[in-house]
Amino acid sequence: ESLDDSQVDGVCATGEVIRYEYHVLYSSSYQVPVLYFRVCFLDGRALTLDEIWKSVHACYQARLLEGPWDTITQQEHPLLGQPFFVLHPCRTNEFMSAVLTSSRKENRQTNYIASWLSIVGPVVGLNLSLSYAKLASEQNTEADVI
Amino acid sequence: MTDDKDVLRDVWFGRIPTCFTLYQDEITEREAEPYYLLLPRISYLTLVTDKVKKHFQKVMRQEEVSEIWFEYEGTPLKWHYPIGLLFDLHASNTALPWCITVHFKNFPEKDLLHCHSKDVIEAHFMACIKEADALKHKSQVINEMQKKDHKQLWMGLQNDKFEQFWAINRKLMEYPPEDSGFRYIPFRIYQATTERPFIQKLFRPVDSGGQLHTLGDLLKDVCPSALAPEDGEKKTQVMIHGIEPMLETPLQWLSEHMSYPDNFLHISIIPRPTD
Repeated sequence: ESLDDSQVDGVCATGEVIRYEYHVLYSSSYQVPVLYFRVCFLDGRALTLDEIWKSVHACYQARLLEGPWDTITQQEHPLLGQPFFVLHPCRTNEFMSAVLTSSRKENRQTNYIASWLSIVGPVVGLNLSLSYAKLASEQNTEADVI
Repeated sequence: MTDDKDVLRDVWFGRIPTCFTLYQDEITEREAEPYYLLLPRISYLTLVTDKVKKHFQKVMRQEEVSEIWFEYEGTPLKWHYPIGLLFDLHASNTALPWCITVHFKNFPEKDLLHCHSKDVIEAHFMACIKEADALKHKSQVINEMQKKDHKQLWMGLQNDKFEQFWAINRKLMEYPPEDSGFRYIPFRIYQATTERPFIQKLFRPVDSGGQLHTLGDLLKDVCPSALAPEDGEKKTQVMIHGIEPMLETPLQWLSEHMSYPDNFLHISIIPRPTD
């Protein structure tokens, strides 16, 4: 199922407008969420993986090269049938279980999708606003009061 | 009675006689003759068409040649689908040879994945195998294998070596003696008429009472439109590797014997010809 998709316009170094399109899907095979994305110039011309990589902020590039996200490959969107880039889901359980374990220790609620997206999103230019984290902690405070 | 192992060989060695013709708008220095080839049903277009590419590039100028892609009656052919699936889905009830048009320009970015090297095909093939094992064995069997075993699966496919491939693949077809089959069956159901490229869902090989699920049970659950209405005519064909297996066939058996090398059952639902 497609949980959410959003389009964001960004500006790259040469001053051209590029449009990022993100879809979050659920993989029933791996039982984890998967991030699909594609990036185009406004005239519809698709960016290559190289061009997308260059637009990832420099401060992330070195760290991401050793990250747990394995690979980005081009794959067919399972509902639309069109080519998208995908962050491979087979390592997701690995890095998410660390997040979930520490939350449980501190007896905190986590929004799985917000946590997951805040980890994988920046790899592909999707920076999650801090308001998502504030929302999760507000839910915690309410739970404590009850 | 044919031995079950013979089915594995028949599936592996299935071929489709194909005629490749260069797209008429491609610019050539002299006329391009069509190229005939027997395509392996279980392989992928970009893996087995080096000779086709060389043949047409001989009559073209270098600057006119960019990434090759294939089309059948206006539909770009997805190289990442096995050849047998593409044929069953788009051309099974037409006269042989299968006539495919070859293009070297205007790559359809919105329809096809790029395939710049054999590494891309290998990565795709291995990703499918890994996903199938996630469904069958929670990835335990594939993860226990060494890199050289993974390589052997790919080399077996690439070099058309049945024994080499099955020496490793047989491990992916085993299941614990206390179980009646795999955890879930890796399958995809394709219909050319829908926008959605395929249906894939979690489906167990056995029901809660321990009875083996059949192909008919699967269709009733995930694609009921493929089945004929109780009192009506059969409007569709359910095809795997060019044949229509009986709907009573146990799904576990089909998964073990009629999966493609990627360990998935790729099932086509096509309109029944009305002759």
